[in-house]
Amino acid sequence: MTEDHFVIIGNGPAANSAALTLRECAPDTRVTMISRELVRQYKPKLLPDFVAGKLSEEELYVRPLAFYKEHGIKLRLGQEVVDVDFAARRVTLAHKEVVGYSGLIIAVGGKPYIPAPLQVFEDFMMTLKTISDAHAWIERLSRTESVLMIGGDLTSLAFTRALLSLGKNVYFILDEDSFWPLRLTREIRDQVAQRLVSRGVNVVECRRLKRLARVSEKSVEVVTDTDRLKVGVVGAFFGLVPDVKFLAHTGIHVERGVLVDEHLKTRFDGVYAVGIALRFTIRSFGIIGFPSGTVTLKTSGRSQR
Amino acid sequence: MKTAGWVLAEKVQRIAESKTFEVRSDELPTWCPGCGYFGIHHGLNMCIRRLGVPLHMVVTVSGIGCAGRYPFFSETYGLHTLHGRALPVATGVKLAHPDLTVYAVGGDGDGLAIGGGHFAHVARRNVDINFLLFDNSIYGLTKGQPSPSSPVGTKTKASPMGTVDKPLNATLLALTYGASFVARLFAGDPNTITESLMEGTRHRGFSFFHIYTTCVTFDKQFKTWDNLKKWVHPLPDDHDPTDRRQAFDQVLEDDFSVGVLFKTENPES
Amino acid sequence: MSKVDVTVEVCGMAGDGTIAAGGLLNEAMSEGGFSVLGFDSYPAEIRGFGRCVTRSRIGTNEILALDEWTHVLISLDDAQSRSRIPGLAENSSVFFDNNPPVYVRERDSLAARVEPGTALYGMPLADLAARAAGTERGRNMTALGGFAAVFGVPEELFHKVITRKFQPKGAKILEANLHSFQAGYEYALEHFSDRIRPIFRPPAKPEGREKVMLSGNLAIGRAAIDAGLKLYFGYPITPATPIMEYLAAKLPETGGRLVQMEDEIASIGAVLGSFYAGKRAMTATSGPGFALMTELITHGVMAEIPAVILNAQRGGPATGLPTKTEQSDLHAAVFGGPGDSCRIVIAPTNVAECYHYTLKSFQLAEKYQTPVIVLTDFYLDNRVENLSVPRAGSEETADWNIYPDESSKGDYKRYALTESGISPRSIPGADGFSFSATGLEHVEKGTPSYSPENHMQMSEKRHRKIRNALADLPAPMESSPEGDLEVGVIGWGSTVGSVLEAVHSARERGHRVGALKITSLFPFHEGVIRDFMAKCREILIPELNFEGQLANLIGYLHTKDVVRFNRATGVPIAPSTILREIEALIQAGGR
Repeated sequence: MTEDHFVIIGNGPAANSAALTLRECAPDTRVTMISRELVRQYKPKLLPDFVAGKLSEEELYVRPLAFYKEHGIKLRLGQEVVDVDFAARRVTLAHKEVVGYSGLIIAVGGKPYIPAPLQVFEDFMMTLKTISDAHAWIERLSRTESVLMIGGDLTSLAFTRALLSLGKNVYFILDEDSFWPLRLTREIRDQVAQRLVSRGVNVVECRRLKRLARVSEKSVEVVTDTDRLKVGVVGAFFGLVPDVKFLAHTGIHVERGVLVDEHLKTRFDGVYAVGIALRFTIRSFGIIGFPSGTVTLKTSGRSQR
Repeated sequence: MKTAGWVLAEKVQRIAESKTFEVRSDELPTWCPGCGYFGIHHGLNMCIRRLGVPLHMVVTVSGIGCAGRYPFFSETYGLHTLHGRALPVATGVKLAHPDLTVYAVGGDGDGLAIGGGHFAHVARRNVDINFLLFDNSIYGLTKGQPSPSSPVGTKTKASPMGTVDKPLNATLLALTYGASFVARLFAGDPNTITESLMEGTRHRGFSFFHIYTTCVTFDKQFKTWDNLKKWVHPLPDDHDPTDRRQAFDQVLEDDFSVGVLFKTENPES
Repeated sequence: MSKVDVTVEVCGMAGDGTIAAGGLLNEAMSEGGFSVLGFDSYPAEIRGFGRCVTRSRIGTNEILALDEWTHVLISLDDAQSRSRIPGLAENSSVFFDNNPPVYVRERDSLAARVEPGTALYGMPLADLAARAAGTERGRNMTALGGFAAVFGVPEELFHKVITRKFQPKGAKILEANLHSFQAGYEYALEHFSDRIRPIFRPPAKPEGREKVMLSGNLAIGRAAIDAGLKLYFGYPITPATPIMEYLAAKLPETGGRLVQMEDEIASIGAVLGSFYAGKRAMTATSGPGFALMTELITHGVMAEIPAVILNAQRGGPATGLPTKTEQSDLHAAVFGGPGDSCRIVIAPTNVAECYHYTLKSFQLAEKYQTPVIVLTDFYLDNRVENLSVPRAGSEETADWNIYPDESSKGDYKRYALTESGISPRSIPGADGFSFSATGLEHVEKGTPSYSPENHMQMSEKRHRKIRNALADLPAPMESSPEGDLEVGVIGWGSTVGSVLEAVHSARERGHRVGALKITSLFPFHEGVIRDFMAKCREILIPELNFEGQLANLIGYLHTKDVVRFNRATGVPIAPSTILREIEALIQAGGR
């Protein structure tokens, strides 16, 4: 490879932080960010407020597209990496393009996690991870009055507030797996349930979700071991898992994330992982992205010299 | 023995009977006294009269040069075009109005130099027009410059050392271009001109008449009356005008045999 | 119904079916009741060799010109389409084949070049077509299917136009194309469900006459046939050749003939010969050929023989830019040739006018016994517009020759001095009216004369005649609000569409701006132009040439200074570009 070319997979906070750091530390390096989503970087934490109508779409975005151009960062949105060849140092895109790199930063975001037993009902459940998810919610909520929330991650709590502010009737099934990879203790679960009830949420007590079925255009029937109810829409909120399926057969260690050392380096030369993409332990997601991306790349930027 | 006066009277009588004066216009030709063009003029007028074509059904198209003035001296419809452009304009006239009999007339400069490019194409298109090339090997109207058919060494004011370019042989060109009727004629023999023109006018397709003539004013060395009379002779009796190869041989061997060299109703490709 | 104004490009290699796809797109959108203006180009440069591009602007309002930016790019060949990327608008959409036979390197990739925000619709075009129809050839149809699905164009519209196009080629080919289209349509519905943007819900079908898609060249060809053209003489030259090809097919059906001549000189010569013999003829050429014709055109002026000459302008001088558009033959058309050779020059500004002005040119040529030059350009010739089927009126097809009356028989003066300047003209075959037409100066009878008085008199007669033709020439069209104007824009030819759109937009933004379209370039409607200029603070004249040739002509009126906006770029001026100029003038004036 004659030129330095850093390819960053992802366009989330970690990826952007990595790109900016790289720009700073290695100004002559070509930087390409490749992200499956068509939209530019936005603040996912604001999505509930957006659905609630408290924010305009524009307010979700972090910086204008022109910023990337001005900083010499090639942003490739709506384009998906499907394979990485670490030996040849190149990534393959879904449209059969190969892009060579001297450095690769895996900074893919997460995708909504759905626990295995519920995966058969995936088609009936909505999630909230992306702006297009938000648009889908807005559209659906315009013709429904009741929502069943399953899970109980941080987003679900914010989203519940949003739904209540819209005057929707909210049902909640708290799942002990919803803080995956943490398990909720009975104690915390009860605390959360109590808070929800106090705000007017119908917390459904059950051990198991037996069946979801669409009964009409407008409603889904939910059958649990204890109950049976009809709601307009079901949302699944079990946190996120790193979206690294494309790495599965590349030889990199993928186990709920990419295994890295203390410099966020993987076992392959020039390949790093940051953000949700890396295998995390007990820290929750939001915290990992920015600082570690910055730190690592400052390190790697130096080591490039 | 007839007196000279008697001969002249007889001639005048014959001309009056031929009614060629009806074809001539009131306009007095601008050609120099003794010009060979008078002979061609007379020959064509006789042809038109003898064919019996109504004058308003004849169009004479010319280019520029001494021959360019021709239409003004004829009672037919006339179209005096630009230098070298008689042939394409005549093509337009004939295609637009096929009932018309169309003659294109022009000199060797008009037909072989500036308009030389059209010659090949009108021949290969075989448009039913008759092209009379008045070949005196000199530019007369511009007062004596060499033409494409001037022999090497022609001295004029524009070529004081004598020309070095080889002359074109218009008859040979016409045969090569695939003209379906090719005749070589001599302005000093209006009767043969009339005969050949009648044959060529009746011919369906492009007819080419290469007419040797003289410029009495600017050519004192080559195509003078004296020389032409000496050189010109009829085609051999056994010449077969349907044989293109023979026509080629004839033209390559003999520059001055006159008559209908070649004609075909089915021009080969 | 919300306003739609979208520009779509199809780009591919020759043989990809690019032009066919662009054509069908135009047809389908036209069927759907949209306004459509399309422009195909086949750049001849070596680097872009074989590249074909069609641009279509599709909208709900009337469309007068192509605009600057492209919103949708349909790539049938990524290597060719890469060059189109800089012309893409923000948030545009790109359709391309995402399963090429070999892996694409980053430097060759279309996707690597688009700006972020561009929606990429990758479809396995070749695979889908091959699976649907057994051959990859229909992948242009597959791409159209994707386009239709994503933008909500009813599939029936495409079915209809595909059937119309391919039915004559047999059931097998028709089916292959329909299936290829459908494969793309269904693939897109399934895979792009989250990115469907149904902006093309067709408006109600406009009432009234049926609309057809016509290119400028085709409109000219049709008009020539409708005018009763008997003979066409021509020589191949870009961009006029399509007229010859169209007429080669159509003329025999109406008893006419087409002859490909040896050069442009021969072509105009034969046209003059034909009109002289009383039959309508025409020739079409471009700048280089027109230059060759000028001597014979002035022959037509002097000998007073009608002729119709179409000059499809391209970039010049000399061979110039054969496949690029320019308006730089105006001087040549108006002034070209020896002597005081006044003739009629008209320039249509859109496809409908290409039709009507071509028809008109025969009337003018016959009535005024003069060559009439119709000036179009590459952009106008090759752009397609949907318009009501143009039809010739009886006035337009009538015989406009003015013949001598019987009383002058025997003493016929072909070039008689008349008040109008028009001398009755006889046609060969008329007994008792023979004359010789000549390019020499001549007296009334037609015989040559070099007398000073005669030359003066005859020059005056010829110019009087052409001046009088003004009454029959299309008058300038003004589009202005009442009262004085901040900026007045004067346009001619293919640029007028952009001028009018720019002026409309400027008025929507609250500016007092007007436009004057000039279609008769010689003679001029002097009074109208003076009046217009008098009420404008600034005059802007945008032209596709370097010298400002219309501005020069207007300069002869000695009215006031004009602002020239001369573009020698070879590409049409977009409305937005003119709008920027207008606003800059207003701002400069306001300070």
